[in-house]
Amino acid sequence: MTVAEHVILFAGPMGAGKTTAIRTLSDIEMVTTEAANSERHVVDKATTTVALDYGEITVGDEEKVRLYGVPGQKRFDFMWTILKERAKGMVLLVNNDAPEPIALALDYLKDFSQLVENGCVVVGVSRRDINRLPTPDDYADAIADAYPDVLVPVFTVDPRNVDQMKTVLLTLVASLERDESTKELVQ
Amino acid sequence: MTSIHNDQRAIDSARAALTELREIAPSLVFASVVTDDGFEVVHVPDNSADSGRFASMTSSVQALGEAVTRELSIGSSGYVVIAAENGHVLQLRVPGHELIFAALFDTHETLGKALSSSRRCVERLAALLAEHNFQEPLGSSTHY
Repeated sequence: MTVAEHVILFAGPMGAGKTTAIRTLSDIEMVTTEAANSERHVVDKATTTVALDYGEITVGDEEKVRLYGVPGQKRFDFMWTILKERAKGMVLLVNNDAPEPIALALDYLKDFSQLVENGCVVVGVSRRDINRLPTPDDYADAIADAYPDVLVPVFTVDPRNVDQMKTVLLTLVASLERDESTKELVQ
Repeated sequence: MTSIHNDQRAIDSARAALTELREIAPSLVFASVVTDDGFEVVHVPDNSADSGRFASMTSSVQALGEAVTRELSIGSSGYVVIAAENGHVLQLRVPGHELIFAALFDTHETLGKALSSSRRCVERLAALLAEHNFQEPLGSSTHY
């Protein structure tokens, strides 16, 4: 039996919880490329991802999902280009305490627009315990305005919470399978 | 708190070390010192363009190299080489610091000679940083 494999990206701004989310989900010890963070005045955390994070999770009996985290900073966008070519879907994590988080989310979606237009993106809003607003509905409305032909689910998430992250991931995997089924029907 | 790449002691030390390297390595095309997270401290020659992108790529390549050595449990990473038809890129960690040296050499010198010059450069830079009593801010992590 062939084991289905998916490559999923975790993208979003520095401090949104991408590395933590992959660590939460991964069945294997994750591969990280953390470096000391020179921008602690921007985001107060000791380290930041400078190339990629990598983890794996098996969904059900047969589906292996490869989880790649990309650096959040725009100066590393060459890594986005490399990794998005392999990806079937993307979890966009946005920390709700970032300045203008909805505009930020839309910026990232634009950079990964092919995945968005394929309907293969889920948004997770983190740090809502710090900032309650905007709400997930606010994000969903703004995304629907920008991409009226696709549905992008939006969840509140704590990247440390395995159940929440699995819900996000399984929602995305279901979207990917629907997309693949549609393509098979068209062919 | 001043970021490493804005610290004048780090900038002056790196500039001095790279300038000395240019004098002893005629095949040097470009060299820079960058922070672990991809911010440029200084580069030579001064007029080279788009050095910011090279700094980010240097950071990613170094981190990937170190991830591979960790994964394979083969000790710390000595240097990274990208050998191409018309030149080679060399990367070395500055001993004891969250700084990476990266340089492009043309093919008029052997890779071994370029590596030898580069090693001398990072050792010189480490010595200059020590003379300036330069240390990374407390709380930052190191990978060496």
